[in-house]
Amino acid sequence: MVVTSLEKMIGLQREPTSIRNICILAHVDHGKTTLADCLISSNGIISNRLAGKLRYLDSREDEQIRGITMKSSAISLHFEKGNQEYLINLIDSPGHVDFSSEVSTAVRLCDGCIIVLDAVEGVCPQTQAVLRQAWLENIRPVLVINKIDRLIVELKLTPQEAYSHLKNILEQVNAITGALFTSKVLEERAEKETETQGISDSVHGDQVYDWSAGLEDTDDSHLYFSPDQGNVVFASAIDGWGFGDKEKIDKIVTSLGLKVGARESRHADPKVHLNAICSQWLPISQAVLSMVCSKLPSPLDITAERVEKLMCVGARTFDSLPPETQELKKMFMKCSSEDTAPVIVFVSKMFAVDFKTLPCNKPRPLTQEVIAQRRELARRRHAEKLIASQGQELPEQALSGNESELTVKTGETKGDKQELTSQTESMTLKTVEQEADKESFIAFARVFSGVVRRGQKIFVLGPKYDPAESLNKLPSGCSAADDLPSIPHMACCTLENLYLLMGRGLEDLEEVPSGNVLGIGGLQEFVLKSATLSTSPACPPFTPLNFEATPIVRVAVEPKHPSEMPQLVRGMKLLNQADPCVQVLIQETGEHVLVTAGEVHLQRCLDDLKERFAKIQISVSEPIIPFRETITRPPKVDMVNEEIGKQQKVAVIHQAKEDQNKIPEGVQVDSDGLITMSTPNKYATLSVRAMPLPEEVTQLLEENSDLIRTMEQFNSSLNEDKKMHEINQKILDRIQEFKQKLEKNLQGRKWRNAVDQIWSFGPRKCGPNILLSKFEGYRKTVWQCLDKTTKEVSKYRDFDNSIVSGFQLATLSGPMCEEPLMGVCFIVEKWDMSKAEEQMSANRQDSEELDATEQTKNEDKVTSLPSSYPTESSSENKKLQDGSQGSPNSSEKSSKRKGETLLADCYGPFSGQLIATMKEACRYALQVKPQRLMAAMYTCEIMATAEVLGRVYAVLSKREGRVLQEEMKEGTDMFIIKAVLPVAESFGFADEIRKRTSGLASPQLVFSHWEIISGDPFWVPTTEEEYLHFGEKADSENQARKYMNAVRKRKGLYVEEKIVEHAEKQRTLSRNK
Amino acid sequence: MSIFTPTNQIRLTNVAVVRTRRAGKRFEIACYRNKVMGWRSGAEKDIDEVLQTNTVFVNVSKGQVAKKEDLVKAFGTDDQTEICKIILTKGELQVSDKERHTQLEQMFRDIATIVAEKCVNPETKRPYTVILIERAMKDIHYSVKPNKSTKQQALEVIRQLKETMQIERAHMRLRFILPAKEGKKLKEKLKPLIKVIESEDFDEQLEIVCLIDPGCFREIDELIRCETKGKGSLEVLSLKDVEEGDEKFE
Repeated sequence: MVVTSLEKMIGLQREPTSIRNICILAHVDHGKTTLADCLISSNGIISNRLAGKLRYLDSREDEQIRGITMKSSAISLHFEKGNQEYLINLIDSPGHVDFSSEVSTAVRLCDGCIIVLDAVEGVCPQTQAVLRQAWLENIRPVLVINKIDRLIVELKLTPQEAYSHLKNILEQVNAITGALFTSKVLEERAEKETETQGISDSVHGDQVYDWSAGLEDTDDSHLYFSPDQGNVVFASAIDGWGFGDKEKIDKIVTSLGLKVGARESRHADPKVHLNAICSQWLPISQAVLSMVCSKLPSPLDITAERVEKLMCVGARTFDSLPPETQELKKMFMKCSSEDTAPVIVFVSKMFAVDFKTLPCNKPRPLTQEVIAQRRELARRRHAEKLIASQGQELPEQALSGNESELTVKTGETKGDKQELTSQTESMTLKTVEQEADKESFIAFARVFSGVVRRGQKIFVLGPKYDPAESLNKLPSGCSAADDLPSIPHMACCTLENLYLLMGRGLEDLEEVPSGNVLGIGGLQEFVLKSATLSTSPACPPFTPLNFEATPIVRVAVEPKHPSEMPQLVRGMKLLNQADPCVQVLIQETGEHVLVTAGEVHLQRCLDDLKERFAKIQISVSEPIIPFRETITRPPKVDMVNEEIGKQQKVAVIHQAKEDQNKIPEGVQVDSDGLITMSTPNKYATLSVRAMPLPEEVTQLLEENSDLIRTMEQFNSSLNEDKKMHEINQKILDRIQEFKQKLEKNLQGRKWRNAVDQIWSFGPRKCGPNILLSKFEGYRKTVWQCLDKTTKEVSKYRDFDNSIVSGFQLATLSGPMCEEPLMGVCFIVEKWDMSKAEEQMSANRQDSEELDATEQTKNEDKVTSLPSSYPTESSSENKKLQDGSQGSPNSSEKSSKRKGETLLADCYGPFSGQLIATMKEACRYALQVKPQRLMAAMYTCEIMATAEVLGRVYAVLSKREGRVLQEEMKEGTDMFIIKAVLPVAESFGFADEIRKRTSGLASPQLVFSHWEIISGDPFWVPTTEEEYLHFGEKADSENQARKYMNAVRKRKGLYVEEKIVEHAEKQRTLSRNK
Repeated sequence: MSIFTPTNQIRLTNVAVVRTRRAGKRFEIACYRNKVMGWRSGAEKDIDEVLQTNTVFVNVSKGQVAKKEDLVKAFGTDDQTEICKIILTKGELQVSDKERHTQLEQMFRDIATIVAEKCVNPETKRPYTVILIERAMKDIHYSVKPNKSTKQQALEVIRQLKETMQIERAHMRLRFILPAKEGKKLKEKLKPLIKVIESEDFDEQLEIVCLIDPGCFREIDELIRCETKGKGSLEVLSLKDVEEGDEKFE
């Protein structure tokens, strides 16, 4: 066959009736790419002999090595049926579940699809998935049952058996289609019901819904696959044959036995033989393509339903769109290529190509002129060289002035020239090198209406763009070329290059009429992953792609060499753009996290990152898992559900040391957990108690962290007497509401007046922990902004910051493994500063006798003060001065110095001591309470078929998951299981569940909440029963301790672990041991 | 001189000796290797796993047992096990191989953690992970010194790392309020110490919010206090200027 010329393709592009946009979908290894190969070979792009072995559309190296397709790629084919010519835009898609995002991007651009089935394997999980996807996108499928030869060669079926087997497969496929159909009908019915309920008060006479009518009313016969309808082809792509036409089916049905027999007898011959006969007799491309042309719709036949679905984002109905937008529907339906029609293009993904493969950089055959020019250049260079060599010789020979002058001149000019040329050459070289380094992104797109031209100005509409909003802002009839006010989620750009996608290659195009699939260059800056392009601002963004798989496999990546960080970041950004289904983020810990759809997808992403985008060595690790620390009420029962206190404690040796370790001397501990502690210089004493907050309060605090933050900002500006920027009423109301909610949740004797005593939140002043002040004579709370009272001056005020800072530090890193606290309330019950005050007044009297030498000494000490010192001490000084009003001016300074000495003794500055004391007191207060770890939890939704339900449960329980609910999806045999799973156990979860269920269940993980791990990390068996139950160490049971130790080890903290479990006893070893 | 008889020699291959001096006498006990540190830290609670025998020696390798009267004189008791416990907690010991190894490893981790806490990537203003810092420390062949504090060593490591990778101490955000009179003069002096000035407000007082290197804090503090004679004030807005929250690439 002849290679179809580009001109012919361009010509065909103009006629929407003869265009077919199709994609090939199937389960992995059912022969999509092989089928594509056969179709390509019919166009003469690859040889017939190589079809099926080459896998032309698998252009990546790893695709070829692994033998699976990883990205969807398109090619335009030419097909003649009778005297009608067709242009077929074929998209091959991957079948592996990890790459189902690529399927979504392909399906969106097509009008029809070929679903390939393995005749032996039948319907597989991905077949169901792609059928569902095709259904959701409203595109019409045809079926190709592939690998028919396996029935004969491998299964050795008799013709009758083969027939019933194939019939079986067909029924299975039809059953799935039927299920999809029924579920949709049921859904619609449910929707209608709710709708009718909603408008039941205002029912119009003509708006009576016939929702009692169920399935029987809706015609579904056109949905099913049957050879009678001509939408099924039986084929063997590897051998290149297939049949499906009606007349041939008749022939086959009547003479099936005979033919199969004949084929069997031939199989003893070399395969080439068979191939040659069959592919000529029943060429697969002919069968498939003619079916495609006759059965699948052209772009013109786009259904109204599909258009509406594409144009309505989320829950919006088509009717709610602005009228201008509704107008566009007609354009869609018409699919006209007139110049007046607005251009609408959908970009479904961006893919990276090597800069060198772009058509503009391809080596082209040289034209005559260029050749002549180059020859001329070469000749001149040669001549110059000659002259130069002569010039060198000449000065030696001839000493006479004239001649040498001449040569010098020529030499100079020549030198200049050479310099110039070398410069330009090196420059071009450089640019080429730089550009060769770059990856160029091409948008994979389809024109839905109008004609796209190179250099055209066009709007790029992001997914959140709202046409109604912008239509109000923009003058009617404006175009992208005009100067426009900036509108959210909309940008203008110029289409730089248009390409015809030809598998591995690209062909430059000048313009592309409606209904075609194309590549667009130069959108890199404007489009991240997908977008809608249009010349009309009324165009709504298309509905986001339905992804079957959401990214769930999380890993942290790091460069092997720390200095290569910038390359990694840049590479990850490129990867993010190139892959529709990858997420890339930097966490607060500084980790670069890559979230992918599965292990195979992850592997591909890493390969891409290493070889194309970042070009550095990277290492991959499990991401860091966050924990929280908290306390609980003391438990009533022990680990074997016996009441605590009644059992006999076993006198265990190793318990002896425990309690003395925790709390050092100098700290008093009450029986109910009140900690009393003094600063190192004994001037101030603090009493602190820790209490667990009710769960609802913690939740409330979490939700309102933003509000708390604004409150905090406002308070701090209030305290500093600064520009009282008015807080707006709305926020005040919200704060009031928040306060009331807190009051409602904090009830009971313990929490009396608690809300009014809240001093601060932590950590970072907005976290889920509370500091209460319950001592006398202090009334500063976070609710300042509400009552706007003037701040009172009390003796505590100056050090108030230190206490709060101490609290912030304590909540930021808890005693168990230095993770932040959550849901803890610290109560300062006493704050005694009497000694400090005494000292101050005593100092005041001395101050006048102070001499200058001491002053300088003090200054030296003072320099070692920490941050919070200056503001506080200066105000402290003011107070001192108030007291000693009568003192002469000269002594003022010295008294100031003296004041500071008090505050900065040998233990460092007083404010610093307070911070440290407060922090320590909080930590001890925590330690005397039963401490618990909190783990981050995912909610996990699993869709699974009934037969793999048991295995799903097994995997869940192995990973400490808990099933919340399980229900059957209406109209299908799928179960939906909702469960919670600790983040710490989620690594590899998705993969395990897929493996165990052979891909029939796919989980989706979303972070949901923090949950207390019930086990005490410090627990050891103490009673007889526990001993019996858990043994002496009980470390196998203690999940909390495992987590805690892992975190401590990671952070380089001390882990209570024996270096050697059992000491080696003395052996007398020989001399040369 | 005794004759050297190798056949009779029993080499103490697996004994860690803990010694102490009391009342002018030396006392030793025989312990298992790699166990004494565990006892001291509280990880090992079974004394039989630590002591080879609960006899107190004068010299373990020669097998000379301490005399009872000496023990009473030095410790006030002759209960061997009690004395062993005293020696275990107070005596000096030779650190065994595995103990030293874990100790160094722990210090190495600790240093890396401190560095990761204090530093950021100046480009992204985000911290590096501990693992990355550890690898970088191995790359520059940093060896841990067991007798220096980890914090000191961490500062040293930061200095060395700066040569090979992009790393910087996380900046401190400060606010000065300076009296108008000295303001201008002082600002000139402060300038070389300040990394970035974020805002500057000059009406009655000069108010500057800026980022500084934490190493310069003391200098700045001193400068402001001396120059303004206590009238100027300085406030720390944040100890570490880092990006918060997760960032998604888009």
